[in-house]
Amino acid sequence: MAETDPAYRALRDLRRKRQLHRLGNIEWFDAAYRVYLLGFFGGGTILWISSSVKDGTVAASTSASFASHAPAVLGLIAAMALLAGLRGGSQGGPIALEAADVVHVMLAPVDRRRALLRPAVQRARGAVFAGATAGAIVGQLAGRRLPGSLLAWAAGGALYGGTVAAMWAGAALLAHTMRLPRWAATSAGLAVFCWQAAAITWHVPGPATTTGSLGLWGWRQHPIDLLPVAVGLIAVIVGLTQLSRISLEALARRSALVAQLRFAVTMQDLRTVILLRRQLNQESTRRHPWHRLGPTRTRTFTRSVWRRGWHGLLRFPATRIVRLAALAAGIGVLQAAAVRGTTPAVLGSALLAFVLGLEVFEPLSQEVDQPDYTDGLPVARGELMVRHLAAPSVALIPFAVIAAAAAVLAMGTTEAIIPAAILALPTLLGGAAGGVISIVRDAPDPFSSSNQQAFIPPEMAGFTTTLRLLWPIVISALGTCTVLIVRLAVRHGDSTIGAAVRGTVGSLLVAGLVAYWTKVRDPIRIRIRAFMDEGRAQTSAQRSRSSS
Amino acid sequence: MTIAFSTHGLGKDYGDRPALVPLDLEVPLGQHVALVGHNGSGKTTLLRMAAGLLDPTAGEARIVGHKSGTREARQSLSWLSDTPTFYDDLSLWEHLEFVARVHGVEDWEPRAEHLLGALHLSDRRDDIPTTFSRGLRQKAAISLAMIRPFQLMLVDEPFVGLDQSGKEALLTLLDEAAAGGATLIVATHELAFVSRVQRLLALRDGELVYDGAPADVDVHALVLPS
Repeated sequence: MAETDPAYRALRDLRRKRQLHRLGNIEWFDAAYRVYLLGFFGGGTILWISSSVKDGTVAASTSASFASHAPAVLGLIAAMALLAGLRGGSQGGPIALEAADVVHVMLAPVDRRRALLRPAVQRARGAVFAGATAGAIVGQLAGRRLPGSLLAWAAGGALYGGTVAAMWAGAALLAHTMRLPRWAATSAGLAVFCWQAAAITWHVPGPATTTGSLGLWGWRQHPIDLLPVAVGLIAVIVGLTQLSRISLEALARRSALVAQLRFAVTMQDLRTVILLRRQLNQESTRRHPWHRLGPTRTRTFTRSVWRRGWHGLLRFPATRIVRLAALAAGIGVLQAAAVRGTTPAVLGSALLAFVLGLEVFEPLSQEVDQPDYTDGLPVARGELMVRHLAAPSVALIPFAVIAAAAAVLAMGTTEAIIPAAILALPTLLGGAAGGVISIVRDAPDPFSSSNQQAFIPPEMAGFTTTLRLLWPIVISALGTCTVLIVRLAVRHGDSTIGAAVRGTVGSLLVAGLVAYWTKVRDPIRIRIRAFMDEGRAQTSAQRSRSSS
Repeated sequence: MTIAFSTHGLGKDYGDRPALVPLDLEVPLGQHVALVGHNGSGKTTLLRMAAGLLDPTAGEARIVGHKSGTREARQSLSWLSDTPTFYDDLSLWEHLEFVARVHGVEDWEPRAEHLLGALHLSDRRDDIPTTFSRGLRQKAAISLAMIRPFQLMLVDEPFVGLDQSGKEALLTLLDEAAAGGATLIVATHELAFVSRVQRLLALRDGELVYDGAPADVDVHALVLPS
């Protein structure tokens, strides 16, 4: 049927034309290489994790315990998705238009609901697909140990993941179109989350337990579990019908930030990703610090950097502090899981510690963000940066307490108190060291030439890019894997306190080495460059002698 | 008398900081208005709320009798921002085609050629505007704002980045629009422009401190922060 609305017809033609432009601009070889890299590393990671899960069905008692607890725990993930969706929606999510679309389409006399329908459906569809894929991967992992076929578990996981994603998208769309204030969205989401957490702790019915139960469909099926699927779909559909009520202010702000965010992700610029995520969440530093530092007479360089660090840390907004506390608690729980036998949990705790490092070493990041100021100081850059590590390291102490408490709770035994207390802070420091590497590495490098990588073949460029992305996380993993020493002691019946002390030494060694690297990175690079330049000069001199 | 733009208790707060104190205003159709004020006085906030790009904290704005942001209001309004925004895969000519068609203009080519000629952009019509210099992007944005029919044009800092010929071209195009019966509200720091308008609005710290003829007041004193 021919389109009768000329404005919408123009919009449809524009989208078609742009799609053709995009297809014409694709570097197919480059795209194929990226797919190959993703398949290689993504597939490899899934295979590695799958192989680390032992085959063989668990004992009947474990299965029964799993069946009784898993729905509530999986429900907590659904509650988190709901919280994220509500908060995201109150801040302009989940749609992100191009900035030009906001000006040229949203301000034009088009039916906004029709204009937004396609991007909104694409967003919801993408989220459901990603959720279903993640659910299927985790489902097949569960199927290796639990009764039921792998295929059924993968399908159940996909159903659960897709439903959770639909709930996220639906909640976001509804929160946005209902113009829910951020405080109301956060309160509603937190209420569901806390209720679900209570359901896990006290075994009472939770609001998302039925959703969690969907994840066990590979094993047993309860028709009532389909209710959340319907709720998720209805939420998305109702949200889509209300698209004309969107806030252009929120959409415009989000559109500008999301475009930058995507670019930063493409460039693997984690620092910018974090900054933009904060802006997206409208998270700004406090105008009034939590505590105002008194005047000081000492004017030493070290003391000045120490005070500058605290000035920044004491302006952390409450949301960031809550996020850091949640990260610390997550690290504690995952470390406990590693002690109890789930080896991949170490990787999870390393990732959380890496993010914690990126967040808590904010004063260092600010220094890196302002290279002109840094270069204007009468002190070597490494000397300055290493001093920036002091205040955030001390600030990690309360989060170490949270991590230790979470680990003890997850272990469920008072015997874990002393090892956890010994290991908590060094583990956070060792894990956060990966974040420090990521921050320092992103500083402008005056010692490298801009065309250094210009002649690297594509295969090597991909490899070095991947290595660049991964090695800070590897450092975080080294800093946090010392918990495995405690696990070994538990298995062999040795002293866990002694093992914790040995683990502490390992984590502190990682943190110390990273601090030393931060200090001497520039001099080392200067020496390497001088060495290479000398080598090149000798080679060219030899060539000119042999040719003459 | 038809009112092109009106506000009724229109206000905006950013947290505990008021960006625009609730404002009542009426601008009749065909009037040429300059909006002045120091940096942070609330000019852009007022214009963006009028365009529907910002949600008011209080009150409402109306465009030719329609609530700001509605389809009817958008039909009558042209918005020229101080930060030109373009698609990064469309040429200037393709931008003009899209903007004209999405506003229901079918025979848009002669108008587009006239605008590009006036703004000295004819030889850049097939180039991508995101690759332009600041001044050229501003000129491209002017052409997009002018290609479509409108009764009210809101203009925010239009002279930023423009060379002398660009400024003259813009003034000519604004005069053409005014001659066609459109209402123009131009926020600017170019105080020389004020002498060309019929009415001057001055904002200071989010409050309207002057509303009247530009000849009756010392404009330089109006734009000083408190």
